[in-house]
Amino acid sequence: MADTPIMIADHLTKTFGTGHSAVHAVDNVSLTASRGEMMLVMGPSGSGKTTLLSMIGGLLRPDEGQVQIDGVDVFSRGEREIAKLRALKVGFIFQSFNLMEALSVEENILLPAHLAPGGVRAAAPRANALMERLGLGDRRNAKPATLSGGEKQRVAIARALINRPPLILADEPTGNLDSHAGQDVMMTLYDISRDDGCTVMLVAHDPRVEDVADRLLWLEDGALRDRKAETHSWLKDPVCGMRVDAWTATLFSEHEGERHVFCSRRCLERFEQEPAAYPADHGGPVQENLQVFRDDTFDDSK
Amino acid sequence: MLHWLLRTLVGRLPQLLTSAGGVAFALLLVLLFEAVFAGESDQIVAYPDNVAADVWVMQRGVSNMHMAISLVKDWKIAAVAKIEGVTAVTPILYMNTVVIAGDREWFSFVVGLPPDGARAGPWAISHGASHPGSGETVVPALLAEMSGIGLQDEITIADKTFAVVGLSDGTYSMANSVIFVTERDLADILSSSDLISYLLVDVADSAEPEAVAERIRRQVPDVSVLLAADFVANDYAVAMQMGLEMISLMTVIGGALVLVVVAFSVYGQISRQSRELAIARAIGVRPLPLIAAALMMALFIGAIGVLLAILLACLTVPLTAALVPQLTLHITLASLIRVGLVVLVAAVIAALLSIRRLLKIDPIIALKG
Repeated sequence: MADTPIMIADHLTKTFGTGHSAVHAVDNVSLTASRGEMMLVMGPSGSGKTTLLSMIGGLLRPDEGQVQIDGVDVFSRGEREIAKLRALKVGFIFQSFNLMEALSVEENILLPAHLAPGGVRAAAPRANALMERLGLGDRRNAKPATLSGGEKQRVAIARALINRPPLILADEPTGNLDSHAGQDVMMTLYDISRDDGCTVMLVAHDPRVEDVADRLLWLEDGALRDRKAETHSWLKDPVCGMRVDAWTATLFSEHEGERHVFCSRRCLERFEQEPAAYPADHGGPVQENLQVFRDDTFDDSK
Repeated sequence: MLHWLLRTLVGRLPQLLTSAGGVAFALLLVLLFEAVFAGESDQIVAYPDNVAADVWVMQRGVSNMHMAISLVKDWKIAAVAKIEGVTAVTPILYMNTVVIAGDREWFSFVVGLPPDGARAGPWAISHGASHPGSGETVVPALLAEMSGIGLQDEITIADKTFAVVGLSDGTYSMANSVIFVTERDLADILSSSDLISYLLVDVADSAEPEAVAERIRRQVPDVSVLLAADFVANDYAVAMQMGLEMISLMTVIGGALVLVVVAFSVYGQISRQSRELAIARAIGVRPLPLIAAALMMALFIGAIGVLLAILLACLTVPLTAALVPQLTLHITLASLIRVGLVVLVAAVIAALLSIRRLLKIDPIIALKG
């Protein structure tokens, strides 16, 4: 992973609404992403993940702050230039695939190439290569309606890559996939960051994604926490026994001086009704010798 | 890019065809309405068109036959006949009146023919004689059929009865059927003895009709002289004039219907496909190609509508001729051009109306699950 920053977000702030109903979707967030880095953004629903991704991708103008992609200050430009920047510098991968239903696999992949120098003709060999690489070679003329979820997402990945953008933004790319297809997509994104040097910034809820990410960003109430993801603070839900990450868990309860985490509100309520019914060995750490590394650059005083 | 965007915008073909069907229906009404007027106008000018005189001579100031009165002193027949290049002059007397046949009344051109005036008589006969004698008449076969009369039955022209001796083809019109009697019988009805209405002039093959017409103008006083083509064109214009306002009104109503159909179709499709359009915006497509695609879609719907309307109209014309023989439909090139222009304008306006909706599509929609 090279150190060249491909994306710099500087004090990004976005507020929706005014007065008492104002929601600070993103609150003074700064971060950088290096070339080839795979960055995972996690956080509870409504924490501002998609808003942050939208601003970094040039889809949403921040109230304050700046975004630079590949050295270009995005929001100092007009809408026309921003659209061009999106076409050439950013690849988007969406949760719901967002393919054009009327177009074939190949046409969907080539759609952004219309906006690149050289156009579709110049991009055709790369489209062929991407289809082969992503196992879509024999589906080039298929319409999206005939594809499986995994195939659709691979088409979306190929579309995101066709113009060789330095930055890929993926919003819940495995959200609509089964575990096998989801794993497949994640490994594809991992390969893209490693082999192609693309910076991949993805929003996901699936904790398994942490295994392949270089960096995990935790966003809550619009503010960012940054931590490395080499280890997890896995604890067991004392009620159902499910694995829960203490870093991301939002449901807690104290009993006899011990802190427990829960996977759901139902488990929490059952525990609080009769804590003694759940023996101590039901909860607690999943693995020993847990180490959590805090990112020194992160300022959590906010 | 435009092609792909258009395909994305159009979405499913059945929706497009439904919209085009709405456009076609509106246009078909306009086309058929105008075709009725054009067809009727064709029939109104059937007489001057078919008797095929080279030059028409009439009262000064008169320039057509339909809804016109022309009276010329009969000595001018000989004066015209003497002019260089004239090979024959056939005088006719003419009256526009109501004829009673069976229990029905018919607006008619009554043409009074001289004894040797066969060339000014009916050009196609289905039954009986082609030239009436005294107290006799030749009427359109279709008029006779609809009136329930046949050969030897009587009709009434201005309180005078005539026996039907011939049935002609191609002379029926809803506004003015052509009925032939003798010149003397018509003169009796008009109480005139030395007047005729029109002179049908035949010109020698070696002479130029325009030159002959000019000589008649110079040598015969107080007459209007027109080449046949101009005379027929004037008559056609007068006939169409009657329907002009109605045709214009129908065109405006049809155009408004087309506008509504196309605008709703384009707007609806933009709304239905807004997510895909948002994706296009998210990946960097600027608004202009989307607007161009919307315009193309509007034109596409309009074009299919025009083609469908023409196809349906082409099927309707022979069907109408078979089922309603008294109705003559004629779809003119001018009316096709007119509906084409109406659709073009309506499609552009429809696309413009949709631009605001298009520009309001937020690319962030693409990020929402």
